[in-house]
Amino acid sequence: MEPIQLFSLASRQAEWLSLRQEVIAGNIANANTPKFMAKDITPFSAIMAAGQFGMARTNPNHLAASDLNTDLDVDVREAPLNGEIGVQVSGNSVALADEMTKMGEIQRQHSLNTNLVSSFNRMMLMTVKG
Amino acid sequence: MDSVTATDPLSSALKIAGSGLDVQSTRLRIVSENIANAQSTGDTPGANPYRRKTVTFGSEVDRASGANIVKVKKLGYDKSNFTESYDPSNPAADTKGYVKMPNVNVLIEMADMREANRTYEANLQSVKQTRDLITTTLDLLKSSQ
Repeated sequence: MEPIQLFSLASRQAEWLSLRQEVIAGNIANANTPKFMAKDITPFSAIMAAGQFGMARTNPNHLAASDLNTDLDVDVREAPLNGEIGVQVSGNSVALADEMTKMGEIQRQHSLNTNLVSSFNRMMLMTVKG
Repeated sequence: MDSVTATDPLSSALKIAGSGLDVQSTRLRIVSENIANAQSTGDTPGANPYRRKTVTFGSEVDRASGANIVKVKKLGYDKSNFTESYDPSNPAADTKGYVKMPNVNVLIEMADMREANRTYEANLQSVKQTRDLITTTLDLLKSSQ
């Protein structure tokens, strides 16, 4: 039987979404921290394209590629500057409106993800029960 | 100690947003102290009045979870000069009749308060949304017939 890819794909995306949520929450919390640059993580499409070629951490003492606690090959990097605001006088580059937009994106994608999983699950149950 | 503790990103996000709420409320506290003391002079002739307090934030790694939280880095004092006003009847007036007034500018404090309020609301929104993500994930467990 063909292995079913959808669940593993969905769980990878859900993991990526929650990592992004963590990073965006960090940006918002640091909206008034001097010299803090807004961050973002590798887009999900890049992770899909790269496959699982990140260095495996077989021991918790190994150095991680990023300080996020994950097996996905994600990288935290500085987000592109907001054109209107750029870097503020305090050296901070967080634009709250931008971060709220990103959070909205995360919410939308996450709800699509969970709804897909639950309807796929329903379909499987229907098949099994007959 | 094991440096990699198994905390999931959503709990970290809640912790981070919580730390944001915490620092912004400290900032609001400092703002209200400044406004409340905007007219507090000294009580002996020539004595220094209330000095405006400032608060600085810094990013920090939470040891328990490994999350990048925000903390109050420094509670300091505004080093700018006091203004002087002529009021010989004041107990804090010096020999020439001038009283040192606090270096608090109420307009600046108001602007600071607004900004703290905005950021507080943004953090609150991030708490709400993170909770929502957790709930929708848990709802997958509900049996759908």
